[in-house]
Amino acid sequence: MTSIIKETQSIKEAVTFINAIDVNKFSRLISRIIQKLHLKGERTFSEDEEQKLQTALSLDKQALDLVLETTAFILEQAVYHNVKPVALQQQLEAVHLNPDKAEMFSQTWAATGPELVEKLKNNIFAPKKLEYVGWQLNLQMAQSSQARLKSPSAVLQLGLRKEDSEEFIQSGLEPSACSVCLSTKQSKTLVQENVFADFNHQELLEFYNKLEVVQGQLDSLT
Amino acid sequence: MSSSHAKDFSFWGGRIPPEIESMSKNLKDVDQELFRKLMKAVVSSLEGKDCVSLMKSIAESTTIPQDRLGHIVAGMHRVLSEAIRIPPSSLKQEAFKENLRELRIPEDFISDFSSVVFGNRRSALETATSTNDPHLPALQDFKWRVDVAISTSSLSRALRSSVLMQMKLSDGSFHCFEVPLSKFQELRYNTALILKEMNDLEKRSILQIQD
Repeated sequence: MTSIIKETQSIKEAVTFINAIDVNKFSRLISRIIQKLHLKGERTFSEDEEQKLQTALSLDKQALDLVLETTAFILEQAVYHNVKPVALQQQLEAVHLNPDKAEMFSQTWAATGPELVEKLKNNIFAPKKLEYVGWQLNLQMAQSSQARLKSPSAVLQLGLRKEDSEEFIQSGLEPSACSVCLSTKQSKTLVQENVFADFNHQELLEFYNKLEVVQGQLDSLT
Repeated sequence: MSSSHAKDFSFWGGRIPPEIESMSKNLKDVDQELFRKLMKAVVSSLEGKDCVSLMKSIAESTTIPQDRLGHIVAGMHRVLSEAIRIPPSSLKQEAFKENLRELRIPEDFISDFSSVVFGNRRSALETATSTNDPHLPALQDFKWRVDVAISTSSLSRALRSSVLMQMKLSDGSFHCFEVPLSKFQELRYNTALILKEMNDLEKRSILQIQD
């Protein structure tokens, strides 16, 4: 089993720092990081939050960055190789992470890992993704140039979402009696582009036949 | 309303449109050749072609003043567009000719009109006139691709299939998007559902009503 974490200098440093963090605080930290792992280009913590974390964990800025990056890295490697929780724990202990922290990684991974893998599997690279299918069946009775039509026509609505139009707005940290209490608000604003297309019976039938061909190809893959 | 109104129906609706009336008054001294030239110009304008130069040459080749030609052309245009509007199942050739006879249009001209409305150029005219009507874009071109993602930067073994679609609509817009498998099934299901509904609709008695 190839080791997914090589013991480099920065890993050694990070491990020292992580080992010094209080277990409860670390557990909250790791849950938060794993929640945000599937978002590309998003900061897990805002500037304010990072300041507060520095005080709470008694780490300077560089040390905090190292801890956050390393934790994220460990989780990313776990996802990439799709390791089992037990194997992850063993590997972390092999790089001298304390058993309690290693166990915490492994537990978090066991709990939220599969969900994260699914989310990442569904991350797409195409510029737009089909999110919504709606339709309306009309009977057209007449138009300016034609009276007495009675032709059925279907309008298909395809809701397309652009890949990077998911915005997360976080509110600040609200410290309370315990030293690190992370409270966030998240709201998504989605931008959906609607494509409307009109089909008469013949056109819809042709479209459906093409979809059937695609289905045939998909079936042959499994 | 005349007493014969109940059994007759004019293809132009209730009142005689003013263009048609003024045309019928202006057809004196118009010979068949001129009439046919004018008819050709009107038909090609209905088909969407530009006929300014054609009209100019006709106007120059005859002694009839331009405003009279104008009345005739306007009337022809109105007769043809109104007649094409009504499906051939409702407006029979004889009834059409009868309506034109009521306007005292010479018989030769009536058969010229008739050959346009009931001839083989009719469907081309119908398609040409209906392009001006409001409609949502239709699917002009549809291309697709089935992909399997084997490995990504986040997962060394992803093995996820998806469909990439490229649609070109008749208004020129171009859409390229990925369809995850679940959405593809939804699209396929909905399309089949609409087809079934269309079939049911076409069988229902409302569509069997003859007018």
